[in-house]
Amino acid sequence: MTAVAERTSDPLAGTRGLVRLALRADRWRIAVWAVAVAWLSVVSVQALETVYTSPESRAARAELIASPAATALAGPGYGLDDYTIGAMTANELALWIMLPVAIMAVLAVTRHLRAPEEDGRLELVRSQPVGSAAPVVAGLVAAAAAVLAVGGLTFVGLLTTSLDPAGSALMCASVVVVALVLAGASAVASQLSTHARTASSLGMAAVGAAFVLRAVGDVQGPRSTSVWSWLSPFGWSQATAPYTVDRWWPLLLGLAATAVSIAVAFALAGRRDLGTGLLPDRPGREHGRVGGVVGLTWRRQRTAIWSWGAAIVLSGLLVGVLAAQLVDFVAEQPAFADLYPGGVGGATAAAFALYSVFLAVLASAYVTTAVGAARHEETSGRAETLLALPLSRTRWLGAQLGLALGAAVTMLLVAGVVMGLTAAASLDDDSQVATLVGATAVTVPGVLCVLAFAVLVLGCAPRAFPLVWAYVAYVGVMAMFGELLPDGADVASPFTYLPALPAEPMSWAPVVACTLVALVLALGGLAGFRRRDLGA
Amino acid sequence: MTDAIRATGLVKTFGPKRALDGFDLQVASGEVHGFLGPNGAGKSTTIRVLLGLLKADAGEVTLLGGDPWRDAVALHRRLAYVPGDVTLWPTLSGGESIDLLGRLRGGLDPRRRADLVDRFELDTKVKGRAYSKGNRQKVALVAALAADVELLLMDEPTSGLDPLMEALFQEVVREAAADGRTVLLSSHILAEVEALARRVTIIRAGRAVQSGSLEELRSLTRTSVTVGVRDPDGALAALSTRAGVHHARQDDGHVTFDVDADALDGVLATLPAHGVHSLVAHPPTLEDLFLRQYGEELATMKAEQ
Repeated sequence: MTAVAERTSDPLAGTRGLVRLALRADRWRIAVWAVAVAWLSVVSVQALETVYTSPESRAARAELIASPAATALAGPGYGLDDYTIGAMTANELALWIMLPVAIMAVLAVTRHLRAPEEDGRLELVRSQPVGSAAPVVAGLVAAAAAVLAVGGLTFVGLLTTSLDPAGSALMCASVVVVALVLAGASAVASQLSTHARTASSLGMAAVGAAFVLRAVGDVQGPRSTSVWSWLSPFGWSQATAPYTVDRWWPLLLGLAATAVSIAVAFALAGRRDLGTGLLPDRPGREHGRVGGVVGLTWRRQRTAIWSWGAAIVLSGLLVGVLAAQLVDFVAEQPAFADLYPGGVGGATAAAFALYSVFLAVLASAYVTTAVGAARHEETSGRAETLLALPLSRTRWLGAQLGLALGAAVTMLLVAGVVMGLTAAASLDDDSQVATLVGATAVTVPGVLCVLAFAVLVLGCAPRAFPLVWAYVAYVGVMAMFGELLPDGADVASPFTYLPALPAEPMSWAPVVACTLVALVLALGGLAGFRRRDLGA
Repeated sequence: MTDAIRATGLVKTFGPKRALDGFDLQVASGEVHGFLGPNGAGKSTTIRVLLGLLKADAGEVTLLGGDPWRDAVALHRRLAYVPGDVTLWPTLSGGESIDLLGRLRGGLDPRRRADLVDRFELDTKVKGRAYSKGNRQKVALVAALAADVELLLMDEPTSGLDPLMEALFQEVVREAAADGRTVLLSSHILAEVEALARRVTIIRAGRAVQSGSLEELRSLTRTSVTVGVRDPDGALAALSTRAGVHHARQDDGHVTFDVDADALDGVLATLPAHGVHSLVAHPPTLEDLFLRQYGEELATMKAEQ
């Protein structure tokens, strides 16, 4: 009798099976993340090794990065007085490895914790001899496995570079720990809200808050001297200062925070009913004002549109703010200016051209999420409900694509204006506004090509949709690192052909060609979508 | 009377699976037509073909005089659809979803909407993600029934509804039929189809295995009879030798047997000789029709083994 009572009250019963299920479901996702993060880290370090060969160039880089605007997007600035490739990696690159890995961990936790509960799968699982804490453990183990795989493979990859292995080990451990802290926070968020989307938004908000806290701290006091830095898990992981100070103890803070948040998540999971959250759900309207597919898509997508728009416009703002420092940097480094036709002016123009394409890659990622959302409407069965009404497939898809395109173009142009205004102020040159709006506008056909490719896949091979994401990643890597890769690697990216304004003269032929290619792909996709079975 | 739906020889394959395998369906204008079959028989596939959401690989289909694939938009103005598994937009309230569907259709009758919301006791302020299955089903039913259309295509529309709501559903479908609307009602709940439909089509493994009026179908099968007699042994012996009598058995003074429709006359004539004191006879239910189909399937499976 007592044996049965112990068995039924064991909150961890059935954990092993759920862990195996979660890991099996995630095995490909984990592999792709690990390979992508490790590869991009190695390529980035190699790029730094190739570019910053002289102590003078590294000192100039240190000066550039010490500015408040750059510090906000980099790190606490350890080793700026002797800015080695290692110090540069830890100060500038580490944050950008931590951020995506932390986001990955947050999404993994909600995917395993809240989504199955929301759609009812967990009810079936919990009706088995499975304890209340078992799904929490399974989600956390899956997230931890992904984080460790990414950290481990990145460490192995960095062994191929000139970096000190001990420093690389510390940096990868720092990445792992900050991701674990935020996975723990996400586990708590998953207990608060009934809905996976709200839970992942809360988790992402935690990531954003942690990022902002460390940005404020690092700007206020270099080398983790501000208290703000110590309020953020990113701050703890950056305070390890790999390759320079090399200290492990700040990671203990992260591990302790992880343990606390997991304990809180367990306690909440054991206390609440299945399918409920601690935050109430607000009621909606009795009558609807949502009219038509555009209105519906806006309603569904507006948060995503505002978020992507804010990211793109803020990136443009930063580039503009940094413009003056960039000019100083290039002016102090004649060797750099020599690389570009037109000297200092040429170097800044090349930087603006690169950043414009970077903004366009962000916009391409956004339009891909928008087409992916249309695909999700289809697989969820909601498209079936709408297309059983007097609504043609062309109108259904066209409205969603039109909204995505309009939003992407607006984001890019607003970013161009903002980048132009701030650059005009920091360089004291009013002509920058028109120049930079032109530079972002000329990338629009490239975004169109990515959108059209997504439509083609949606229309003709919808199950292969992850292929579109692979293509977006390819376009992004080619835009950022194409110069460092073998010739011809970038042949399939539209941005290879578009004129790199303002570094290159305007030429209309590639603009027209890209637009025509996009039109053909999109019409092909639309024709395929009209011909195929819905839900295929 | 013209046909609202006429499909002949429909074939639809998904990879190696033949979801529809030469399926025929005929629904007359103004009738409530029951569409019965076990899970996975091809009911939903048929309805999606009728909606032009799936394209048939072979066969011909005419819906309200048009081609459901080619004329989808024009035909959808004249029909409404209730899916079997309703998914709503998680952040839209039920009321917003109903009004969105109405607007895309070109307008709903607000009085009919209010009346249906009231009768189905639907809380329209709840967000889509918070509705139970039955309530999501009600949202789809209100949106479909508030539309002014000629044809209603309903794919297991009552799954998830409680018995009170199911009774209400039957009432609204009868009203729709009284207004002259055609209803194709797919279901595996036999009692519901028996209560509403006069004609049915039974689908199994992608083929129409039986189609016709309920009377016709019943005449194809046996009536169950239980008689209380003073001489059960004699009655049993007499009945067992008659052609058309099946499964005759005796139990505590009662004799129970199944009898073919054309043998009923003769069987009734033999009974008085054994002193009948009670008699219960009931026509075959759809369960019996269904079980007969399954029975044959089981028999073939056994024979194959």
